[in-house]
Amino acid sequence: MNHWLTAPILIPLLGGIIQIFIGYAPISLRRTLALATTVLLLVSTVALLALASDGSYRVYTFGNWAPPFGIVLVLDRLAALMLLMTAILAFFCHLFAIHKTDESSRQFHALFLFQLLGLNIAFLTGDLFNLFVAFEVLLIASYGLLMQGNGTKRTIPSLHYVVLNLAGSALFLISVGMLYSVTGTLNMADLAVKVPQVSAEDLPLVKAGGLMLLVVFGLKAAILPLCFWLPKAYGSATAPVAALFAVMTKVGFYAIVRVFTLVFGADAGPLANLGLDWLFPVALATLAMGVVGAIGARNLRTLITWQVIISIGTLLAAVGLGTEQGTSAALFYLLNTTWIVAGLFLVVDLIAGQRGAAADKIVTAPPMHNRTLLSVLFMLGAVAAAGLPPLSGFFAKLLILQATTPGPQMAWLWSVLIIGSFFTLVAYSRAGSIVFWRTVEGHVAQSERLTLPVTVAAGGLVAMAVVIVLLAGPISAYVDATAQQLFNSAEYLTTLHTPVVVGGL
Amino acid sequence: MELAYALTIGALTASGVYLLLRARTFPVIVGLTLLSYGVNLFLFSTGRLATGGQPILGSTDSYSDPLPQALVLTAIVIGFAMTAFVVVLALRKQADHHDDHVDGRESSARLIREDDEEEYDR
Amino acid sequence: MTLSLVVLLPFLGAIAAPLFAQAGRTAIAIASSVPAVVALMALFPYWERLSEGGVLVQTYDWMPSIGLSLSFRLDGLSLLFALLILVIGLLIILYARYYLKPHENVGKFYALLLCFKGAMLGIVLSSNLLLMLVFWELTSLVSFLLISFWNHKKDARRGARMALAVTGGGGLALLAGILLIGRIVGSYELDDVLAAADLIKAHALYPFALTLVLLGAFTKSAQFPFHFWLPHAMQAPTPVSAYLHSATMVKAGIFLMARLYPALAGTEQWFYMVSFTGMATLLIGAYVALFKHDLKGLLAHSTVSHLGLITLLFGMGTRLAAVAALFHVINHATFKASLFMAAGIIDHETGTRDMRRINGLWRFMPHTATLAMVAASSMAGVPLLNGFLSKEMFFAESLALNLPGFWAYVPPLVATLAGIFAVAYSARFIHDVFFNGKPVDLPIYPPHEPPRYMKIPVEILVFACIMVGMFPAISIGPLLYAAASATLAGDVPDYQLAVMHGFNLPLLMSFLAFFGGLLMYSQRQRFFDFHARFKEIDEKAVFEKVAMRMEDLANAFTSKLESGSLQRYAMLFVLSAIAVAWGPIEELGWFIGANGLSPIDTPTLIGAAVLILCAIGTAAIHRSRFDALILLSVVGLMVALAFARFSAPDLAMTQLSVEVVTIVLLMMALYYMPSWTPIEESWPRRLRDIAIALVAGVGMTLITLAMLTQPFESISGYFLEHSKSGGGGTNVVNVILVDFRGFDTLGEITVLAIAALGIYTLLKNIQLTPPPGDGHGHAWTRDAYPVMLRQIARPMLPLALMISLYIFLRGHNMPGGGFIAGLITSVALVLQYIASGIQWTQARIPIRYHNVIGLGLLFAAVAGAGSYAFGYPFLTSTFGYITWPVVGKFEVASALVFDLGVYLTVIGATLLALVSLGNLSPHSATSQLKGGL
Repeated sequence: MNHWLTAPILIPLLGGIIQIFIGYAPISLRRTLALATTVLLLVSTVALLALASDGSYRVYTFGNWAPPFGIVLVLDRLAALMLLMTAILAFFCHLFAIHKTDESSRQFHALFLFQLLGLNIAFLTGDLFNLFVAFEVLLIASYGLLMQGNGTKRTIPSLHYVVLNLAGSALFLISVGMLYSVTGTLNMADLAVKVPQVSAEDLPLVKAGGLMLLVVFGLKAAILPLCFWLPKAYGSATAPVAALFAVMTKVGFYAIVRVFTLVFGADAGPLANLGLDWLFPVALATLAMGVVGAIGARNLRTLITWQVIISIGTLLAAVGLGTEQGTSAALFYLLNTTWIVAGLFLVVDLIAGQRGAAADKIVTAPPMHNRTLLSVLFMLGAVAAAGLPPLSGFFAKLLILQATTPGPQMAWLWSVLIIGSFFTLVAYSRAGSIVFWRTVEGHVAQSERLTLPVTVAAGGLVAMAVVIVLLAGPISAYVDATAQQLFNSAEYLTTLHTPVVVGGL
Repeated sequence: MELAYALTIGALTASGVYLLLRARTFPVIVGLTLLSYGVNLFLFSTGRLATGGQPILGSTDSYSDPLPQALVLTAIVIGFAMTAFVVVLALRKQADHHDDHVDGRESSARLIREDDEEEYDR
Repeated sequence: MTLSLVVLLPFLGAIAAPLFAQAGRTAIAIASSVPAVVALMALFPYWERLSEGGVLVQTYDWMPSIGLSLSFRLDGLSLLFALLILVIGLLIILYARYYLKPHENVGKFYALLLCFKGAMLGIVLSSNLLLMLVFWELTSLVSFLLISFWNHKKDARRGARMALAVTGGGGLALLAGILLIGRIVGSYELDDVLAAADLIKAHALYPFALTLVLLGAFTKSAQFPFHFWLPHAMQAPTPVSAYLHSATMVKAGIFLMARLYPALAGTEQWFYMVSFTGMATLLIGAYVALFKHDLKGLLAHSTVSHLGLITLLFGMGTRLAAVAALFHVINHATFKASLFMAAGIIDHETGTRDMRRINGLWRFMPHTATLAMVAASSMAGVPLLNGFLSKEMFFAESLALNLPGFWAYVPPLVATLAGIFAVAYSARFIHDVFFNGKPVDLPIYPPHEPPRYMKIPVEILVFACIMVGMFPAISIGPLLYAAASATLAGDVPDYQLAVMHGFNLPLLMSFLAFFGGLLMYSQRQRFFDFHARFKEIDEKAVFEKVAMRMEDLANAFTSKLESGSLQRYAMLFVLSAIAVAWGPIEELGWFIGANGLSPIDTPTLIGAAVLILCAIGTAAIHRSRFDALILLSVVGLMVALAFARFSAPDLAMTQLSVEVVTIVLLMMALYYMPSWTPIEESWPRRLRDIAIALVAGVGMTLITLAMLTQPFESISGYFLEHSKSGGGGTNVVNVILVDFRGFDTLGEITVLAIAALGIYTLLKNIQLTPPPGDGHGHAWTRDAYPVMLRQIARPMLPLALMISLYIFLRGHNMPGGGFIAGLITSVALVLQYIASGIQWTQARIPIRYHNVIGLGLLFAAVAGAGSYAFGYPFLTSTFGYITWPVVGKFEVASALVFDLGVYLTVIGATLLALVSLGNLSPHSATSQLKGGL
């Protein structure tokens, strides 16, 4: 029983509680403690990654109740990867936030940390209903974060986001109920055991339940036709929140990968590979939709929000191939896209801050104060996002393209992905050249100067595109192993035999 | 019994969904509440319907399935929190836009294009 | 090591160069030339080996999983190109030193130039196709930045964007092509690919691979119909035009064809695609060049035409043609680069590039004129100059190409025709610029010779033209041979480089071209008039229009879908749920499980009926909000009863208490909102929604029915079994909540806490003005705190607290527990606020509810973490028994502490939410609470 597994949960929980208490303490104190918490979290996730990279499953039984009766945390390569990715992202976002975003509300840091709490529970839990709870935690926190900042422009998008997700939660409960009503269990491993044995007359119930679950996760992941809430919601959020939300859609992605490889994987008997035939075309459509949105974008933020949708389409298309290579490629792409998109959100915010009234609109404006730096950051981000060499996005795309096997699927994926990249490239070059080069005389009255934290935060995330390339070898090795572990779901079932602690000390 | 129960859930879902599709915040919230009632009843019944089998040890000889009850309890609490939040959000909407329509009216500013730009030259 | 260093050096230089920018242009120019010099010295030792057709390959792993390795290859071909890149690069650096103005961003310029050099070297030295592609796209990106170096110019930006779109897009096609080749061969290493030539050509995917690869090559080398980007790239500073867009980058496509020649060439498809593309490009380029008044425009189109010539040669597929192609690559690079530099000098000295204004410069700059004229004659293919030799070979090949029937005449004719045009525009370049009367109002007058050193690069190149032209065998022979043997995988045809091959057909064609060209130029006015009939299309404008149109369409399309209508999104969501569930549910149909239906008793039936009616009623009368709310509360009540009816006392109590608070909340909210919902949707729209709702309802009904009547096995037996022994409680539900699944509960109260915090934040500093009266126009009562209520409420508090304490304590064994207790307490407290007003109550309960929440969470977390101390996992509970008065025998479980946390959190959250809601409006809060209730 390795107590480290609870670290990513307890650290933000306690950190958040502290923030609740010191809501009225001087902001410097709140910032220090909050950032310290995030750093601590980052450290713990690194430790967990090291732990998980031996390829074995580590189980944590809450309340010392043996699975499937108690709730378990399961740490495997995938979980560790998601945790670390999120922690790194969170660190930079948090760094950016302490610049001034967190002044808008005394609860910002508490909400931020609880957001991380929810995310980490979602990545670690091995229990379907607990996954629901985790979703609720991260959602309610995200509602709060979304409404951070002054002004009224956020209200409507937030309202849409909240209402849709409440409906989503309802559907989630229904699906869980349907699965329970047949299998009589909630533990994912146990579900994986029970689902193949489902009797013929119960089959429709499980099938419907599973597919509805796909819809729920699809809503979180923002796939077509459930993606339209996203652009305005993310577009109106404050920069660090929008950047952090880069991982929110990936939770949907994670849930799909986790549940549909484990419970409805290849060994699921009559329900094997449930939903795959839906997933692939929908994902491609999502990708295409994202590209169209990006082309039509009239301001940088919108452009990036559609990039989020492009990413999710690409990710799920790769997963939709239903192969180990596909999933491995998706995971590699996941790192790239999450960090880069987040970085772009931050960079765009800095750009907007220096263009006065023009803000992030793709129009002529007076030159920025730090034009060179910002343009370099933007270009790096754009190149990585559009998937051009020599940055990480290219290698990610390469992996995805290579993951296909000749056939109609390959034809579809290749054409959509490659043509998509082309138009993304056009969109970015257009936006960039107008924003940075098509300037008019004069200067912006109150142009926001760059401070060290924000520069480091934005630069750091974008620089990940280079880091990934340098570590391309090890990373691809890790994701390969992860995909392998995922597809060997029989191994996961051994978590059911985790013994409980006897006698304690 | 089961039929009546199923119909009840059906009715709750239908009314909930219908209200969810309305254009004002208040009915939408009411709809979500109805929906959550339906969902709770459904989740509860996944343990099947039992009469006089409250899962209090020693109180009866055959117990109903306690797990769904616990789940529903959690669901109710979370639902309560969510409802409270969305209600307040609706109020915020009311305050910010002085109406309770779920979509505000978006005014899109005209954007300057490359054409409109005057020519520069070295 | 060496090769990777050669590639790496320029990039390092790019980082270093800007540091010298402060030290002036000379310093930075010197600094920038270091990498090239070092590289040349590093490559020199290999010459021996390479001249005998040797190959040097150096490989390091990078991403083995995708077949990407850092492997470099040096053979004749790559050496030839590497030399072009390095030598001309050096000349360009020297030239640019004088071309750029001091105030310009010299650092950026040289940095980019070096980046480009590195990328270009990467292309020609890569021995791994994927690696080559990386550098390939990199050149596109850098050229984008170089073309737009003067990015305040609109045309520069547009030209750059267009170039990037075309070449970058071509790169993506190339990517696909290379991936296909890799799939066929199973490796991206050049050696393997070249070795697998037959396999590739025989493979079913070959046509696709070939087409995609050629797309990449053609876009990069400006082949028709992708040639249009090149002339517009001339917006770049002239050194860039000379370097990228005549000598090196545009040759990358040619290089690719040469590199993969053994693997892809020699098939029908190759022949037709490549040779005809080449032919078209050759002609179109030559034709348009004649009519360009812009000096650089002329050179650009002539470049297009010469690239077409080289492509055509490769397309012919004969080994001699390939040799000729390589030879022309060298020659074109030398004379075209020098011509561009000359053009740059003229531009620099006269301030314009318009040949209608630039005339008779001979008198002003004889030296430059001489150089330019020699280079131009070489371009025209005048004997004793290098251009002549390769053109001669080209003519010979065009004849040697024996196509069936009439087609046999096409290549020679095309060749000659193109030759004529080439002579014509070369003649124009010479005559129009240096003679032909006086200059016409030049911006800079009088022009004079440029700085001495600015001419040196031109002189060197022109010298090369002459040397090669006169002594081809000794000057270029060995290098060409090495390159040819590398390209043709060893078997080089026997050819001799001589100034003259005696009088033969090719020579005749040359003469034809020469005099035809001169004739055409002398008659140019006619051609100009003829050409003037067709209005010239500006590809840049077209490209922009298309891009703009696309943007608008995309935007329109997007905003149609992403309409910002929640109703639409919600409907899509419901529909998707229905869509996926439809199949299974249809499968299910009206399914009654093995357990069958059990009889129903009257009360239940009535309850169900009431519930259904109220539910539907709520939807039906939802427009009258207050009434809808009343019905809603009845529904909630009935749900609670249903829980009670089906043996879930805890749920019933919870539902009941939540119901109360929820309704209070909604009432308070409703107080600020319109009390009526206007009709907005048309009838059809509402009917549609009703239909959707009904489908959803029916679906749920069928699912529930099937589920309820199916037998099943669940894990709950375990809970019933261990609840007492393991959890120390008889109320299994409560034990599950605080013990078996305590972690869920922890999450649940966290949600509650976060919600409260969120609400608190949301309600901060918002102003809501309540309507003067209720919906029916009655004003609110003045009486804020009715005595009655106050009299009842105050004594109720202690009572309520007692009750909640009792319920809390017994929770572990009887229905109850922290949550219900918490809600009861909250209700009691809220009642005080309502009865006596916020100020009064705050004064007596001076609590900051944030802290209560925090405390609650802390208790729960600590109770959970307590078990660490005993080496047990988080949330492991332990318990012992004690006997209390009143409550009786009763055990204290560590879970109780946890439940206390729940209790506190609930109180804190509920009150924080309700009180901050009550605090809302400017005047005393309670009146709204009152208005609500």
